[in-house]
Parts: sequence; C-alpha cells; structure tokens
Amino acid sequence: MALALTITQMGCQAPPPTSRITVASAGRISSLDPAQASTLGATQLISALGDPLYRLKRDGSLEPRLAASAPVLSDGGRTVTVPLRTDVRFHDGTPFNAAAMAFSLRRFLEIGTLSYVVGDRIAAVEEADSHTLRLRLSRPSTSLQGLLTSINLTPISPTAYSNHQDRFLHDRFVGTGPYKLTRFSEHQQRLEPFAQYWGEAPRNNGLDLITLSNSTALYGALRSGEVDLLLSASIDEDQRHTLHERASAGELHESVGPAMEIGYITLLSNREPFQDPNLRRALAVSLNRSEISERVSYGLRRPLRALVPPSLAGGAMAQWPEHNPEQARKLLQAAGYCNGSTLRFPLTFRSNVPADKLLALTWQAQVQRDLSDCLVLDLDGVESTTIYRQLGEGAFKAVMLDWRGSYPDPEAYLTPLLSCTSVEGNICMEGEAAISGSFWSAPGLQTALLKSDTLTGDARRTALDRVDHLSADGAAYIPVWLDSPRAWAQLNLNPPRFDGSGQLMLAELERRQDGASKKGATNN
Amino acid sequence: MGRARDLARYSATRLALAPLMLWLIASLVFLLLRVAPGDPVDAVLGSRAPAAAKAAMRARLGLDQSLLDQYLSYLNGLIHGDLGQALINQEPVRAIIGKTLPASLELSVIALVLAAVVGLSIGFSGIARPEGKIDLGGRLYGLGTYALPPFWVAMLVQLVFAVSLGWLPVGGRFPPSLLPPEGSGFFLLDSALQNNWTAFRGTVRHLILPAGTLALLLSGTFTTALRLNLRRTLRGDYVEAARSRGLSERQVILRHGLPNALLPVLTIAGITVASLIGGALLIEVTFSWPGIALRLQEAINQRDYPVVQGIVVVIAALVVLVSVAVDLLVASLDPRVRY
Repeated sequence: MALALTITQMGCQAPPPTSRITVASAGRISSLDPAQASTLGATQLISALGDPLYRLKRDGSLEPRLAASAPVLSDGGRTVTVPLRTDVRFHDGTPFNAAAMAFSLRRFLEIGTLSYVVGDRIAAVEEADSHTLRLRLSRPSTSLQGLLTSINLTPISPTAYSNHQDRFLHDRFVGTGPYKLTRFSEHQQRLEPFAQYWGEAPRNNGLDLITLSNSTALYGALRSGEVDLLLSASIDEDQRHTLHERASAGELHESVGPAMEIGYITLLSNREPFQDPNLRRALAVSLNRSEISERVSYGLRRPLRALVPPSLAGGAMAQWPEHNPEQARKLLQAAGYCNGSTLRFPLTFRSNVPADKLLALTWQAQVQRDLSDCLVLDLDGVESTTIYRQLGEGAFKAVMLDWRGSYPDPEAYLTPLLSCTSVEGNICMEGEAAISGSFWSAPGLQTALLKSDTLTGDARRTALDRVDHLSADGAAYIPVWLDSPRAWAQLNLNPPRFDGSGQLMLAELERRQDGASKKGATNN
Repeated sequence: MGRARDLARYSATRLALAPLMLWLIASLVFLLLRVAPGDPVDAVLGSRAPAAAKAAMRARLGLDQSLLDQYLSYLNGLIHGDLGQALINQEPVRAIIGKTLPASLELSVIALVLAAVVGLSIGFSGIARPEGKIDLGGRLYGLGTYALPPFWVAMLVQLVFAVSLGWLPVGGRFPPSLLPPEGSGFFLLDSALQNNWTAFRGTVRHLILPAGTLALLLSGTFTTALRLNLRRTLRGDYVEAARSRGLSERQVILRHGLPNALLPVLTIAGITVASLIGGALLIEVTFSWPGIALRLQEAINQRDYPVVQGIVVVIAALVVLVSVAVDLLVASLDPRVRY
C-alpha cells in the first residue's frame, strides 16, 4: 500500500484550482426526466440544466424565468395566460416557444409520475400564439402560480424528446438552462456552460457532480478538500452539527435554504386506540419538540407545530398545542388510563433514516420520564419502502414520516395529507388522507381546503388558518420539526445561495481567483 | 488414461449440475422477491399516483399476470439471455450489470492478489521457526484480520487516510474532474491500453483504500490456511523421505512442502473470489464504489425486481463457474483427489 501510495502521490499532488467546481451529494440519480424525477439530487441537477417558467425568490415573490412577465388570470380565475420569452433556445438549438412549453406540460400530464400534484386542475393546455401559453383550469386555483415554479414542469426540447413523447428519457436532458449535460452516469455528471444561454452566464467553467453513498464519505470529501461543495439533506446529525460549527468558526461557508421539509407523526385514526381524538391530543402534547430538536439535531431542525412551513405565505409555526405533560395526563386519565392501566402502542420509524430513530428514542424517553404510568412506546424500525407500501393499508398505529411539497405553496402540504374524496363522519374512506395513513377527516375540512385554493391574500390566510386549526384539533398528524436544505462550501468559493424553492443556484458558484480565503459564515 | 477419463466424467457432471443450481437460485430469488413486502409499482410511481396509472404500469410490466405466468416469462427470458429492464428507469439489466460488474471485478481481483501476496508471505515467513516470534505474529495476524468487522475497518481506514491525512480519495472510482476511459469498463486496463497515465494514476488512487481494506480483511485467511497446511505437509512421510535423501531444508520446503500446502489455499482462493464479487457490499457502500453489490442493495431498496433477479443470477453463475473451475483445477493437480 505504501508503494502504491508513493507512486500515485508522485507528480499527483492536489491539482491547481480551476474554475470548474466539484459538487458532492448523496444518492444515485436514476432518472433525469422531469416527468419522473423526484429526488433532491435529480431536481437540483435539472434546475441547473433547465429553467422553470417562474422562480420563487427568497422574499416569496415570483421571478419570471422563461415567462416574460407574471401570469394573467381571466375568466374568473379559470384561464391563466403566460407570456413567454422570445430569446430562448434549447441546448440542441430548438427555439423555445409556446408549442415547446405546451409539449412539455402535456407530456408531464400524460406520463408524469408526479402528475397527481396537478390533479384535475389543468383542463387544457393551449398555445394562444407563438409565445403565449394559455392554461384552461377546471376550477380557480391560487396555488397554480406556485406550481408553475415546479422543477418538474421544466420545459424540454420537443425535438430531442420526439421519440420520448409518451415514455421517459432517463439519461439525457435537453433543456434551456445555463448548463448542458455532457456526461451522465448515475454516480457522476459533467455539466458545461451553455454558450447560447439567454440569461446571465455561469460564473464557473462547469460543474462535476458526484454522488457518494454514505454520510461519512460526504463529510470526509468536503473536509479533505476533495470536493468544493457539499449539498445534501442526508448528512448524519452529528456531522451536520460539526459542519455547522466549522462554518460558525469561519472555516467553511454554510448556506441554509428555506425550510421546506416537515417531519411529522401520523396516527391511525380509524382504529383503536387512536379512534379517540383525546388520545391523539394527549400524544400531541406529550411531545417536547424543543428538547427533541436539541437532542437529535443540535437545534438545526426547528421545532414545528403546523403542517405548512412558515416560509410560505399562509404558513405558520404554532397551531398545534405546546408540550404539556400535565394536560396529556389529564386527557389520558379521562380516557381511562394512568390509573393502573397504561396505553401501550407501537411507534414505527424508518430504520434507514437515522434522525427518525433518534427522534423515536427521545420521545420514548420523554414519555418514560413524564408519563411512565400512563403511556409506553414500543419502537419498531421498518425500512421506508415497506412503510410507504403499507401506509395506505392502515398498517401503522403511529408512524414517523416527512414531507416536502412538490412546489412552494401551502396547498402542496395540506392536500397530500388532508384531502379526502369520500368521508364518513371523521373517517376518510378514500383520498389522500387515507393514502397518508391517518384516515382522518373532519366535517367541513375538505370544503375549507378547496376554498383556500380559490382565495388570495388575507382571505386565503384566514382559510388556511381554519384548515390548520381543524387539523390541530383532530391531531391525526403531529408535526415535529422543520428541516432546511444546507450546503457547505470551501472558503475559496463565494458563499452559495438557495432560491425560494430550496434549489441551490449552482450557476452563481464562483472560485475566488485571488486564491484568498474569505472567512466563512452561515447565510440564511 | 483411466484417471483422465474419470476427470472428464467428473467435469461433465459438475458442468451439467451448474444449470440446475442456477435454476434453483433463480427460482428462489423470484419467489422471495414476490413474498417480500413493498410494491415495485409504488416504488416507481409513488403511492399517490392515480390508480389508472398504476394499473397501466402493472399491466405493462406483466405484474397483473398470475405468479406462474410471471415465473414462466421470467425463465423464458433468462434462457434467452434477456434479464429484462429496470423498473425505475427501464435500463436493460444487462447494461446495468455490464457497467457495475467490471467495477466489482476490478476491485475483487486487485484485493485478492494483494491479500494472497501479503497473506501468503506472512504465513510462509514463520515456517523456519515454528512457534517462534514470527510464527506467533503470523498466527495473531491471521486470527486478528479474520475477526475484524469489515465496516469498522473500512470506516477507520477512510477516516485516517482520506479524511484526516487527505492522502487518498474518500470514495468513488475515478476523479470527478477527469473523463473515465472508454472501453471494457476495467479502468486500470483501459487507461493503460490507451496510455492515459493520468487516468491510470487516478484509478489507482481510488482503488488503494477499498482494495487495501478488502485485502487486509482477506489476507488473514490465506495466512492461516498456508501456515496450517504447510506445517501439516512438512510432517508428512514424503517430506521426511526428502530430508533423509539429504535435501536442504530450503529445498524440502520449496519443492515438496509448499506446492502441496498451496493446493487447499487454491480452493480457498476460489471460494473467496466467488464470494467477493457479491459480498464486498460493506466495502462498496463505505467507499461509494459503484460496483454490483452496491447496485444490488439499491435495487432491493427500490423493489426493482428485474435488477435484483438479474444481478443475483449473474453473481450465482459466477460463483458456480468459479467453484467448478477451482474444483476441476484442484482435481487435475492433486492425484490424491478421488471423484
């Protein structure tokens, strides 16, 4: 080994800095098709290779990208007209126009695995003229604007995808973005600047994206200087904390994106014991979120008592009640527990998600400390694929999960958890609430949910508040924490930035030519 | 003449049994995957996809057929060399194996060679003075490396040599800033043939830690095997006879002891290389080595039936072929073997 080391080290010292940037993240990228891509790594890559119609800025406002201006609503909100830019070309030279945009949208609606996020909202996609797109909606939808920022609706070249109109194209991407893809493998991708890009040219000479299969390798690659930037939500809590500390000490840049991922516990509300809403409420107040946040994530995951992230218009931090073990005891006593009788139930967590296990252990310890004569949690680790498969079958009495909306709008959080097409009393027989494993609904909830999507401004906030209040009272979901995407960069790069949708703006990454190290910091 | 005929018959029997073993393994994998929880359609489309889309995909993949029909279709494809397509991205399974198997083979072969050189050297070095310090050291080395937990060693090696010292890459198979050499998929070979020494160095740098770790873990087996066999062999009558003929101890060991002691080691090497191809999972995961074991793990997590089936069958075929080849080699070299 020593001999091999000597040979390979000879003349093979660290290469001089170039303006290409190496970015590491976790997880293999199996598909680059925007109609199928769902992992963070894939959407991040597509965001560098393509442009959406609009981008959400950090202040919550929409910035037109391939759209020339803001969407125009007419016909009582049932028609959305989007003027498009006229100076855009795809990487293969095909001009971008309304026909290309319509091709991409129709293809997504036809084959997209995430087409459920659009639901039945878009009735027709039309080309009003060569550079004007018109969407006919089945009902007015305020959240449609957020939907138009979705990476999954990124337009693709009709020429390049002519043979893939009704099937996926996984290993290529021909979009309009600042970079074009010059090499793709599931573990490594090479991006070069697109010379004919309509917008501001990338500030680097290209990107090399690599995926590493575990947290230690990712952490080590950044620490040893092997990669310039680490972008991942899959870093173990201890290592994430260390990187945060190093950034605080000025040894790295750390950037924090908008918190878009919620962690929550789902309770099975259509069977014993959690048919009783008071038991669900008891569990909701037995949870000390601040303590969990500190113990599990060193405070990097923020405690959350709502289903919608507060960074979104209409989001909130605190609709669910605070930690209150005395109230939990009273509720449990009223249900016949604590007087020599304990409520014992299995808490299922995803065994392949380390933070879930820590959360489960911490909650178990809290219950043991505060309510040992009333409650006992039996922990049960199950691999996540199995959990998602069996969730809609009502297999788990209490299960820990997380959710990241497909686009930045409260509707992308509330509908997937609460929407219900067939309700009997407080039980959802069919719909998203059943698929989510809670089977819970409430009188007026579905109407309030639908209504909230037709309103704007304060009226929408009020409607969303009502939905949140109903959900908090039902307590079939217990929000626990809120997580933000993070990126860590070496000091010889400019500090990275996230957009409002949580995508890192890779084209802005720039190596400092003076070679000087700028003191790092944490950017929010 | 009679021995040659016996050997030919033995070879034919072993080779004839190989397809039967493969069929059993393929059938077992097919059944186990269907029994395991988790729906491949959900894995591809997500549990929230419309029921119609799920039904259409189920029909397209043939998952709406009876288990027997699925099994027969699977066997038919297998016989014709068609391993199917990945559910997740419709990539042919043959192409996936074509990309990942060379990575695993390259790692395994280098690790095995290193393990054999190091392990056998240590095993051999103590033979001059049995129970001496060197022999005792070899014994401890053999036991120690055999007992080491692979994930712990791999992580420790990674933390020391890659993270703390920064001498070698943390993971991956090739420097991200370079283009991998085109060709067979064996990067060392391809880059050497193309005189691309930058790529060659890059490949070696990425190989050192995973191959070195794997070699360290395997070398103890060779040490122990050689040490024990050599000691047993050197107590044999024919060795005593050689000594009584006046041969030097060096000649006795090299001409009479070592060749006979190496025969069982050959069997161990065969078994090791076969199991290495699929069994280096912890090393591949730790060092993000894009090999067949890592791909198999990802396919299992995604319930990608065709990929799991294809990889397991190919690994099983390799194991069967290597073990048959080693058996035949040992049988042909060792006149004591009876068939």
